[in-house]
Amino acid sequence: MTDQASPIAREEEIQKLLIGEFPFLQDKVRVQRPRRIFATTDAQSFEPVFKFAIQKLGFTILCTITGLDNAATLGFIYHLARQDGITLNIQFDVPKENPVIKTVTRYFSCAEIYEREVIDLLGAKVDGLEEGIRYPLPDNWPKGTYPLRKDWKENT
Amino acid sequence: MKIIKRIVNWARIKSPWILHFNTGACNACDIEIVAALTPRYDLERFGVIIKGTPRHADVLVCSGPVTKQIKKMLKRIYDQMPEPKFVIAVGSCACSGGVFNGCYNVESGIDKVLPVAAYIPGCPASPKAIIDGVVKLLSILESGAPLVKVKSSLPLGMKEEKKK
Amino acid sequence: MRKVVIPIGPQHPALKEPESFSVTLSGERIMAFSARLGYNHRGIEKACEERTYVQDVYLIERICGICSHAHSTCFVQAVEEIAGLAVPERAQYIRTIIAELERIHSHLLWLGIAGHEVGFDTLLMYTWRDREVVMDVLAALTGNRVNYGINTIGGVRRNISPDQAKDILKAVDTLEERTKYYMKVATEERTLIERLAGVGTLSHEDAVNLGAVGPTARASGIDRDTRRDDPYAAYGKLSFKVITDNHNDVYGRTLVRCGELMESYNIIRQAIREMPDGPLAVKAPRRIPAGEAFSRYEAPRGEDVHYVKANGTEKPERVKVRAPTLANLQTVEKMLEDGQLADLPIVIAAIDPCFSCTDRSIVVREARKRSRNILKWEDLRSYSVEWYRNNRGLDFSKLNRKMAGRLL
Repeated sequence: MTDQASPIAREEEIQKLLIGEFPFLQDKVRVQRPRRIFATTDAQSFEPVFKFAIQKLGFTILCTITGLDNAATLGFIYHLARQDGITLNIQFDVPKENPVIKTVTRYFSCAEIYEREVIDLLGAKVDGLEEGIRYPLPDNWPKGTYPLRKDWKENT
Repeated sequence: MKIIKRIVNWARIKSPWILHFNTGACNACDIEIVAALTPRYDLERFGVIIKGTPRHADVLVCSGPVTKQIKKMLKRIYDQMPEPKFVIAVGSCACSGGVFNGCYNVESGIDKVLPVAAYIPGCPASPKAIIDGVVKLLSILESGAPLVKVKSSLPLGMKEEKKK
Repeated sequence: MRKVVIPIGPQHPALKEPESFSVTLSGERIMAFSARLGYNHRGIEKACEERTYVQDVYLIERICGICSHAHSTCFVQAVEEIAGLAVPERAQYIRTIIAELERIHSHLLWLGIAGHEVGFDTLLMYTWRDREVVMDVLAALTGNRVNYGINTIGGVRRNISPDQAKDILKAVDTLEERTKYYMKVATEERTLIERLAGVGTLSHEDAVNLGAVGPTARASGIDRDTRRDDPYAAYGKLSFKVITDNHNDVYGRTLVRCGELMESYNIIRQAIREMPDGPLAVKAPRRIPAGEAFSRYEAPRGEDVHYVKANGTEKPERVKVRAPTLANLQTVEKMLEDGQLADLPIVIAAIDPCFSCTDRSIVVREARKRSRNILKWEDLRSYSVEWYRNNRGLDFSKLNRKMAGRLL
C-alpha cells in the first residue's frame, strides 16, 4: 500500500534519522526510489550503523549479503528490509589483501549461509564465523581461487 | 544362447526400467520427465517404469549440464547399472551444456562423461519429445542394430565399439 | 542411545534434484540435520558478467524451471530501474498474469509432490493432470510450457489477445472448482491430516529468527508477502488477501498454498479485467548506465531477491541472486528437531525446496565409519509410508481408490 500523499516521506525520514545518528553518513545515504535506500560506510562504522538500523529503525529482515570485486577492494552489501517493504542496502569495502569482515550471525542466524557464500566465491574472511561446511563450491575446488573475482579465469 | 538373448531383449524393450537423474539442471526437464508419467502423456503405457535404484535400471535418463560436484556420482550410478545399459540425455543442457555451456563448474553435457545413446533436445524437452526419444531408442533395441557398448573399466569418455 | 548418521542422496527421484542431507539419529528420533548444497551450482552469477543484459535474461530464466518467470522478472525489474525505464502498464499486467499462472502451476506441482511423499499417489496424478490445464494456457500465451521468455528489458514480448484472455478465464474457472475439491480433501480426510499435522513444526519465533520466507513463513503466522509489502509489476493496483495460518506445521503450509491458489485465481480475473491497452515495451539501451538496483519478487516459494550493478557497458558488473529456498533451508533443521525419520521426506518437501534456485545441491556427512547406511530418497520415502501404515494404521490405498473413483 503506497502512501499517496508523499511517496518517499518515510524513506526520507529514515535517511534523516541515519544521518542524525551518524553525521559521517552525510551525503552517503541515498533514496533511489520509494522503498529503496542505499548507504555507503566504511568497515569500522558498519556495525554500529547496522545495529542501529536493526534495533532502532525496524529493519528486522536480512534478505542477503552481496559480495563484489571492486578492483583494489572487496565490497559487501547487506540488504535489510522492513515489514512495510522499505529496504536499506548498506555497503562498505575492505582491502583485497586482507578482506576481513565480522560475522553478523549474532544479529541474524540466517546470515551464516550468505557469509559462507562470500567466503567461497570471493575469498572473504569472516571473523567470528566457526568452521563449517562450505557452500557452494565442491570440496576439490583449487584452494585460493575465487571464481567471482574479476581476475579469475577458468584455466581448466 | 541367441534365443535367451532375444527374450531378454524383448523384456527390455517391452518394459524398460528407467532411472532418472538430475546432474545439476534447472528442473524444467525433470519436471517434464515426471509430467511424461502423469495421465496426460502416460509413459507407463509403453511399459516404462521409473525405478529408484540404478541396480534395477536399464536406461539412465539424465538431465542437466553435469556440474563438477555431481560428475563422480553420475559415473558411480552408471557403473552400478547392469549391462546392457543406455543413457538418454534429456534437454539442451544434457546434450551440450545448453545456456550453461562454458560456465565454470559445469562439464557442458552428459556425453563428456558417459556414452549417450539418445539425445532429446529442447529447453525444456517437452514430454512429447521425451516419449518420442524413448520410443526411438526402444525401436533401435528392437531392431537389434549394433550398439555402442562401454566397458566400465575404460577411462571416462572412451568407448569401444562391439558389433553384435 | 547410539547415534547413527544416515546420508541420503544425492540422487533422488522424488525431488528431482540432486542434494545430500545428513541426518543424525538416535533410534528413530532426529538429533541433527545438515544439508550440503552445491550440486546445482552452475556459476550463473559469473556467467552473467560475461554476457550482455539481453543474453542474461535468458540465462537467468533458467536458474530454475519452476520459477523461471520469477527470476526473469526480478532481474529485468532491477535493470529497468537502473536504466530509468518506465515499463508500460499493459506489460506490467501481462507480467502479473504470467506470474500468477506460474504460481498456480507451482503450487499444484507441490500438492502433487506432497501427496507422493506421503503415499497419496492419486493426488499426484490428479493435481498434475490439472496442472496441464495451466501448462496449456502458458504454452498458448508464450510458446513454451516452461521457460516462457515473455520478458524483455523494458516490457514483455508478447501480447494477450481477447481470445486468449477468454481461455485464461475458462481455465481459471475449471481450476478453481478442482482446487476447492483439493481443499476439501486437505481439511477433511483424516489420513492426510494425520500425516501432515503436527509434523515439521516451526514456531513463529523460530520462523522469524531463521529468516523463513513465503508459504513456509506464512504458515507460522508471519504476515509477509512481497506482492503486498513491496509491490512490483501490477500488484500495487490489485487487491488480494495474504494467506497466513497459525498451525506452524506442514498442514499449515498445505492450507496456505491452497489458499494462495484461490487468491491467484482472483488476481488473474482482476488483472484481465483491468488490464489497459497500450504498448508492450519501451526500447531499452544496449549499454545500461552505471548504477545499482535491488529487486524483490514473491516467487511461489517465497521472496526472491536480485541485486544488479551496472557499469555503463552492455554487460552487468555484478548480478546477485538469492532464491527463496536458500532462506528456507535454514529452517529445516529446526523443523526436524525431535522429529522422527519417517517424517523427513514430507518435512523437507513442505518447504517446497527448489535446489536449482539455491545452488545454481546437499551432501551427507558420514560420521560413523563402520556401519554406513546409504539411503536413497526413494527408500526413505517407502520407509516413511510403511512406518505410518504399521505404527499408526495410516493407509492411503483406500483414499487413493476413493479419489480415483470420483469421476473428475
